[in-house]
Amino acid sequence: MTYSKAFFIALLGFAIFFTACKDDDPVIPHEEEVITTLKYTLTPTGGGTPVEFSFQDLDGDGGNDPVITGGSLSANQSYTGSIELLNELESPAEDITEEIEEEDEEHQFFFQTNIAGLAIDYADQDANGNPLGLNSTLTTTNAGTGTVTIILRHEPNKTAAGVSDGDITNAGGETDIEVTFDVDVQ
Amino acid sequence: MDGYIRDSGTDEPLEYVTIYMKESAQGTMTDSLGYFQFKDLCAGHYHLVMSHVGCEAKQTLVELRGDSTLEFFMDHTHAVLEDIVIEGRTSLLSTQEIETINRQAIADHAQQNLSNILESITGVTTLRNGNSISKPVIHGLYGNRITIINNGIPQSGQQWGNDHSPEIDPLVANTVSVVKGTSALEYMGNNLGSLVIVAPAKIGQEPHLHGSARYYFETNGLGHGLNLNLNQSTPAVAWKVNGTLKKAGDRKAAHYFLNNTGSQEANLALQLEKVFSDTWTVDVYASTFNTKLGVLRGSHIGNLTDLSEALTREVPFFTPDTFSYRLEAPMQQVGHHLLKLHSTYIIDASQKIDFTLAGQFNNRKEFDVRRSGRTDIPALSLQQYSFFAEGKYIKSWENGWGLKAGAQFNGIENNNNPETGILPLVPDYLSYESGAYLLISKKYRHFFLDLGARYDRMHQKVATISGTIPRSIIRYDTVYHNLSSSGGFRWLISPNYSISGNLGFTSRNPAINELYSQGLHQGVSGIEEGTLTLTSEQSFKATLGFVAKVNKAIDFESLVYYQAINNYIFLNPQNEIRLTIRGAFPVFKYAQTDAEIFGIDLSSTFRLNHSAYVDIKYSYIQGNDLTQDLPLINIPSNNVMGRIGYQFEKPLKIGKKQLENLEFNVDYRYVFRQNNLLPEQDFVLPPDGYGLLGLNLSTDIQLAKTRLRVTAQVDNLLNTSYRDYLNRQRYFADDWGVNVILGVGVSF
Repeated sequence: MTYSKAFFIALLGFAIFFTACKDDDPVIPHEEEVITTLKYTLTPTGGGTPVEFSFQDLDGDGGNDPVITGGSLSANQSYTGSIELLNELESPAEDITEEIEEEDEEHQFFFQTNIAGLAIDYADQDANGNPLGLNSTLTTTNAGTGTVTIILRHEPNKTAAGVSDGDITNAGGETDIEVTFDVDVQ
Repeated sequence: MDGYIRDSGTDEPLEYVTIYMKESAQGTMTDSLGYFQFKDLCAGHYHLVMSHVGCEAKQTLVELRGDSTLEFFMDHTHAVLEDIVIEGRTSLLSTQEIETINRQAIADHAQQNLSNILESITGVTTLRNGNSISKPVIHGLYGNRITIINNGIPQSGQQWGNDHSPEIDPLVANTVSVVKGTSALEYMGNNLGSLVIVAPAKIGQEPHLHGSARYYFETNGLGHGLNLNLNQSTPAVAWKVNGTLKKAGDRKAAHYFLNNTGSQEANLALQLEKVFSDTWTVDVYASTFNTKLGVLRGSHIGNLTDLSEALTREVPFFTPDTFSYRLEAPMQQVGHHLLKLHSTYIIDASQKIDFTLAGQFNNRKEFDVRRSGRTDIPALSLQQYSFFAEGKYIKSWENGWGLKAGAQFNGIENNNNPETGILPLVPDYLSYESGAYLLISKKYRHFFLDLGARYDRMHQKVATISGTIPRSIIRYDTVYHNLSSSGGFRWLISPNYSISGNLGFTSRNPAINELYSQGLHQGVSGIEEGTLTLTSEQSFKATLGFVAKVNKAIDFESLVYYQAINNYIFLNPQNEIRLTIRGAFPVFKYAQTDAEIFGIDLSSTFRLNHSAYVDIKYSYIQGNDLTQDLPLINIPSNNVMGRIGYQFEKPLKIGKKQLENLEFNVDYRYVFRQNNLLPEQDFVLPPDGYGLLGLNLSTDIQLAKTRLRVTAQVDNLLNTSYRDYLNRQRYFADDWGVNVILGVGVSF
């Protein structure tokens, strides 16, 4: 009965092979892609104390709620704006701004506001001469309160109508960031 | 040599059966008594190929020693439904409703995946994301609530995902069946009654090398596919090899290309059978299934704003002007590998024992569009190993009693590969399921009765990663007990009328994703959260079936069902919008309610004469959440199908060759709008109803040593623009436009 011997050996091998389950701890993934923090720093042209809007969600999606800090701006003033992105899940914090700079052709920031007279214009360009938005110029006119929304799109169609002027309507792509700050123009 | 050919179902003689003898290259046809004759033959071995309209061609080896009169039976199919011939429920083996699609119908639709082939059965629809990603919906249930039995083994993969197709090549199968049952006692797996059974053929005793090859081309997506099948029964071992290659590029809606919707597939299966003695046989089955499935680029969205923007667009973002075979993220890459060892021991004519051991490995990687070159790193990477063992005992008595009893074990190890750099949506786990069942049946006069019960113990050991920092591992260890039972009858009122009824109770423990999901489900722009306190679902289902052969011209079948599911688990939208850096997302949490699903499946065939026929089928279904007094979501739309066809009873002569089994038909399928849904239950209103026109043509041609089968098929002939409620792609784009499929098969 060599056949039946072979059969039972095969059977046993099979069983051992497939029951060798392990109960190890799962490996916690290295979340290097996460953006936890956005800082929009506005420096008054001609000098003065910079204003910083920030969005910080230290544990990523879920868990605790993010901390959102808006700010006050002066009326009839222009500011130099710069955006900084961080992944603070990593220690030390990882600078995501660099990733955006490296892939500038595939990214674009969009700025939206409901405050009358407030305008945000692009102050930088990608390698193709299209706007990026890491650097911007913000100008205020009258006093008022409202919100400023900053959106980062991945793989937008930068040549679609209106997109290079900051109109998001025809941009497409995926939203990587969408944060809204309460802003008070005094 | 002469003989008679009769219908295996009715025992009536079959006229116009063509019989071809390969060795002498002679052909003949049966007369009205089913009689045929070959003259002037020498003693020896002869291969006979028999074919008849509406039957699958049959090849038999005959050993001729002297003048012989032979008798053959052919499985004459019962009803012709949809594009696919569905075999009748002639067997008395079960009281549950079973419908089967045969090998020829599967081969004729080689371009379709398993779920889309099953859709031809009344009461079966598909839940899809595009067209290549689709899963079967039987009587309104899918995913965790349906078990797929591949080659006797419960398919073990990531069935929970609405966009996860079953990883099975239907071209390997001899038959694919759907059990529209109340309680699937014989099979392990957490189902609520209904099953899909994929069964490869036995290799048979044929000592010569035989095989078949099939190639198809489809215009939509410029798809090609090739299937090759070889088998031989040598004295040492009987073997069979089956391989499939498929490739298609961007599909096209009525008016634009669907970017990145191509697919690729490469499968191989090896089957070995060894008969050790009259009582003992062993068979081994190994298969590998590998696919890459593209997801519409314009359906990849970042947040709710993106979704509402996409919803307003006529043509999706990223729609190209030209066709391409390119497959990029978003994309799924899935491998499923199976090794099975099966042995049957026949104790005596009335009893046998059956053993099965199987291992499966499922490897699923899903790619998203990501930043900084991470697009090449999967965003979801799950590996699942499973081990299955089964023992079965079957016994029948002369007085009509039958008994079947068995025990099964299924162990699963599911791991997330941390390469993703993303917290997993479903956690790592080990699960051990063990169960046993007992079925008793009795044949009494014109009645067939069965009754049975099943018990399963499910042990889940789960290790989740916390959503808060510092990240930590949280472990859960849970045991569930599931009890199922069912009973039914089938009453043959007369040879032409039968009624069957079935009543079943099943419980299903909550699945891992329902308990522990955590995170953003990108595809639906929602945060999905599991609920640890979920309890088992309990289903009570009743079916009542009626089959009538009113006369030779009219066949009629109906099935009415009602299913009440207590503690029905569903994703409940919460009154909470969660703010993340990507914007605001709605939160969905798994919850339980009491639900009901009921409906009716109707189908009938009218034979106008020997050649012309009309098929009509209709299915109605409704699902309600009884606690909240709301409709259930993702319940299929009602639909109706009509077909007019013509079969040439006699072969059509063209020169020296003849076209056998020539058949053509025109079909029209109308899918009604899903009106049983409230506007606030979805992002958009369900799409309008739609009607699609189709054409089919098929014939067989006998050559000297080989036999050809040629098919032509047109789907959506009028290039209608439409969207389907159960296709998630409907949020973004139209469904497929016109598609012409040409196929040619050779068997030898």
